[in-house]
Amino acid sequence: MANTNGASVLKPLLNAWSWLFLAIILIFFEIYAQTEVGATFLFRVYSIQAILTAASQILLLALGLTLVVVAGHIDLSIAFSSGFAAVVMALVIRLGGMDSGFLIFLAGLAAGIGAGAIVGLVNGWLIAHINVPSFIGTLGTYGIARGAALIVAGGAVVSIQNDSARVFGNGTVAGVPLPAIIAGVLALFCHYVLTHTKFGVHTYALGASRASVERAGVDVKRHLMILFVLSAVTAAAGGLVYTGRFSAGAANAGEPILLYAVAAVFIGGASLTGGQGTIIGTVIGSLIIAVIQFGLVFSGLPPYWQFIAVGLVIIVAVVVDQSRDRFSGSQT
Amino acid sequence: MRYNLQRAAVAAVLALGMCAPAMAQDKSSDAQSAKVPKNVQITLIPGLTTDPFYITMNRGAQLAAKALGITVNFQGAEEFDPVLQTPVLDAVIARHPDAILIAPTDTTQLVDPLKRASDAGIPVVTLDTYIGDGKYQDGSGDGDFPLSYIASDNELGGRVAARAMAKRIGDKGKVYVAHLRPGVSTMDQREKGFKEELKQNHPNIEVLPTQYNDNDASRAASQFQAVLARNPDIKGVFGANLFSAIGAANGVAAANKSDDVTVIGFDAPPSIVNDIKSGKIDATIAQHPAEIGYYGVMTAYAILAGQSVPTKIGTGFTVLDSDNVTDDAVQKFIYSE
Repeated sequence: MANTNGASVLKPLLNAWSWLFLAIILIFFEIYAQTEVGATFLFRVYSIQAILTAASQILLLALGLTLVVVAGHIDLSIAFSSGFAAVVMALVIRLGGMDSGFLIFLAGLAAGIGAGAIVGLVNGWLIAHINVPSFIGTLGTYGIARGAALIVAGGAVVSIQNDSARVFGNGTVAGVPLPAIIAGVLALFCHYVLTHTKFGVHTYALGASRASVERAGVDVKRHLMILFVLSAVTAAAGGLVYTGRFSAGAANAGEPILLYAVAAVFIGGASLTGGQGTIIGTVIGSLIIAVIQFGLVFSGLPPYWQFIAVGLVIIVAVVVDQSRDRFSGSQT
Repeated sequence: MRYNLQRAAVAAVLALGMCAPAMAQDKSSDAQSAKVPKNVQITLIPGLTTDPFYITMNRGAQLAAKALGITVNFQGAEEFDPVLQTPVLDAVIARHPDAILIAPTDTTQLVDPLKRASDAGIPVVTLDTYIGDGKYQDGSGDGDFPLSYIASDNELGGRVAARAMAKRIGDKGKVYVAHLRPGVSTMDQREKGFKEELKQNHPNIEVLPTQYNDNDASRAASQFQAVLARNPDIKGVFGANLFSAIGAANGVAAANKSDDVTVIGFDAPPSIVNDIKSGKIDATIAQHPAEIGYYGVMTAYAILAGQSVPTKIGTGFTVLDSDNVTDDAVQKFIYSE
């Protein structure tokens, strides 16, 4: 229990740090924009919309992953649970013919989520029941989900024409992009699960010590199954949003985003050894990455430098985060 | 199913004891009995097996195979990567086909593996991409041994894109290139051709820095929006591959700029064609992969028949836009899936 107390003191500090970091980046780009460009960086509707949409795409892959990392595991297969779901959704919508309706769109969503859940079940089974280390197990399912996505798609990008799907990926409600609302709702759900339920308490405890959780009578295998299904399903939601945005399901929809999703989780204060991490932190982490990407293009920095800058910021964020841990002295 | 038939055919020929050996080597055929190679087995190794571009290339190759009454096998890796392509190539060499058509995935790393084929007496023709300097049989460099290189000129493709762009934006304004990542030779060439054409012939068009999206359409979309935030008067984007184009088009639509910003894509898979029909993409530069595959097989057959062949064959481009995309005449340029 002492552990839980320590974490609860530390958590707000960690969150404050990520907020601060995000604020510094925003202020930096705003000052740059005002002085060098003579325009505002942030205070425009579509800049905010663009950043929110880009961050949502990262966040959807990072949400379930956060819970998995808190429990002391990792899920690399999200890149292709996402792509598998994107392709399955597109194929189902395509079955309904071109210009198919809302019901077909819903069927596509359900099928995509189902496809993601299958990958999650396989992950959970491998890791909970066969005791495969999650890094290796999900690396295996990364390949399997990728192959499955390419096979069902026949290797190509599956393009669709469905107005409901288009709105799902590109619509706005009161100016807020739908992908951001979807990611926000799922983030609230994951936040609630992690902070207000017994399941969340067990997830933190599992990351700290599996043995103690087992002694407490928790069904760890079932718990891990649920975590990996949740991870795959939120990643699948990312694939569905992708299909909606681009009217096309691509097997590699999540691949280039994987590293950013992992980075967002760790920028947000999670630890590789488990037991730490929050959904709020991951949300901030995703926003930080999206703001940097948008800001660097906006600033007109030569493109090669953008790779370096994103890498540097990730390292700096995590290093500062860790030195905070050491400074606060509450971690062992 | 078709594939199984081909496999069966290969097995049958192998069982018969490879009846079509060494014909390529026999250059002293007398004109009296013009050689008609029989039971020819050619293997086509694409850059990757799952890309519509290569699937379409295979479509053209199979058409030529049918016309000639020979067999063309399609064998490759699932990703564009020399580390994955080389083992496939080695396995193909072990089966000793009469000729190898290959889209090499690296200009230097594939030189030695392909040399093994050439040393084993298997003629090599490269399609779409090349090894060495891409100039074969001129006595220079290690990668000089392939007999022919058949491809569209990507730099010219970039120029065609630049002209299409200039025409649509009234020959002035700001544009940029949405690119996958530096070092992908075909895309670098498209970018180069695009920029040079604008510089030489359209001086009132300003080219902004290229944006690299790592093949992530989401990033390409956000990059467009960032460029727009900085340059509200932006006129056009050249999305130099599929994800760059659909991503940039999405960014344009999200910013409500479809009427003001021209998006030019490259290649013509069905998803780009759909985006042209729906107005998200204004035009795309279609390569002719089926033509590359067709002439690849014809060239290999000519070599096996003892004919000399051109060391370089260039294939063309077609600009697809909303005016012509539904015409019967251009349907053949839309890639197969």
